[in-house]
Amino acid sequence: MMKWVVRVVLVLALLALAIWTWSYFFPSAETAVRRKLQEVARLASFSQGESVISKGLAINSLMDNCTDDIEISVDIQSYQRQSMTGKEELRTATTVVRAHLSSLKVEFLDLNIDVGPNKQTAVVDLTAKIRVPGEQEFFPQELKFTLKKVDGKWLIRKIETVKTLS
Amino acid sequence: MLVPPGNTRTIHARRQQNLSRGMEGQKQSSPEAHWVQRVVIGRNPYITLIRIIVLVVTCLVVFKFVLIPIRVEGVSMLPTYKGGRINFVNRLAYMFHEPQRGDVVAIRLAGRHVMYMKRIIGKPGETISFHAGQTFINGQPLDEPYLKTEWSWEAAPRQLGDDEYYFVGDNRTMPMMDHEQGKAHRERIIGKVLL
Repeated sequence: MMKWVVRVVLVLALLALAIWTWSYFFPSAETAVRRKLQEVARLASFSQGESVISKGLAINSLMDNCTDDIEISVDIQSYQRQSMTGKEELRTATTVVRAHLSSLKVEFLDLNIDVGPNKQTAVVDLTAKIRVPGEQEFFPQELKFTLKKVDGKWLIRKIETVKTLS
Repeated sequence: MLVPPGNTRTIHARRQQNLSRGMEGQKQSSPEAHWVQRVVIGRNPYITLIRIIVLVVTCLVVFKFVLIPIRVEGVSMLPTYKGGRINFVNRLAYMFHEPQRGDVVAIRLAGRHVMYMKRIIGKPGETISFHAGQTFINGQPLDEPYLKTEWSWEAAPRQLGDDEYYFVGDNRTMPMMDHEQGKAHRERIIGKVLL
């Protein structure tokens, strides 16, 4: 009896491992989008004393996650809505932000992912939590990301602020 | 005391019986736990375990679905709520009635990790405006005893939809542009702030 119990437990453990391995190497569209956005949040964040090379690499990696015709339209506190189009404009803005701030921490929380029926597009509603040095409180903002699958990779096509209180 | 000689045996026998009973009682309670163990685990570890499980499940259910713990951050609700304080959002507050004017509520963004804490000043269908440090509802001034300082916001009248509420913080001394305020749908209200 004990032998059978051990066998069943072993089979179940192997099955769980196989499912986990499969989902790790072949993630669902939703998981892939979630991972992509967490990676984008990590690349958008930076800490004090970052070398010029690592800055450049981070900016390049960030750009690799966007489509060439990316559109961004976000609210920045105390300023009017800021809009930009295209990778180059985004690269310039990212470089300026990195030059002006000593550090930045970006977190994406509460990701509500809606993958299109063709599995080629996805719309994500999330809360961005942005912490800037020198500010006691963080800036929360609800954002809507539109992603597109290009050559098997999920890329950001559009980012816009959702006005929670309009 | 005088005891008839025939009864002495009976008394001895009873004493013997009592003694042996006492010893049995001692034998039963001999594996009695140390007092530290008794305080920490209790007399019966199984009952303690069940109590712990019930307590943990109750806490999880209450703090996940009924009273959501929050930490207040920011200055928009000053002086009513200061930053750094712990509070709770009562999710059942609007089970039997709709949100009321003056209620301090939690409003969700994309989810419940970050929420706005604001006061309801406008209800569905009403028109809200601000003029010279006074809030107007449908053109009538609103009494706001929770505001302690002078303020001077100006905003043209705004009509709320059938399912919309108007939310503002209590700190009206900050510039209107920096103060997150406005209308939102009922479904964004997570619950009423408890304390």
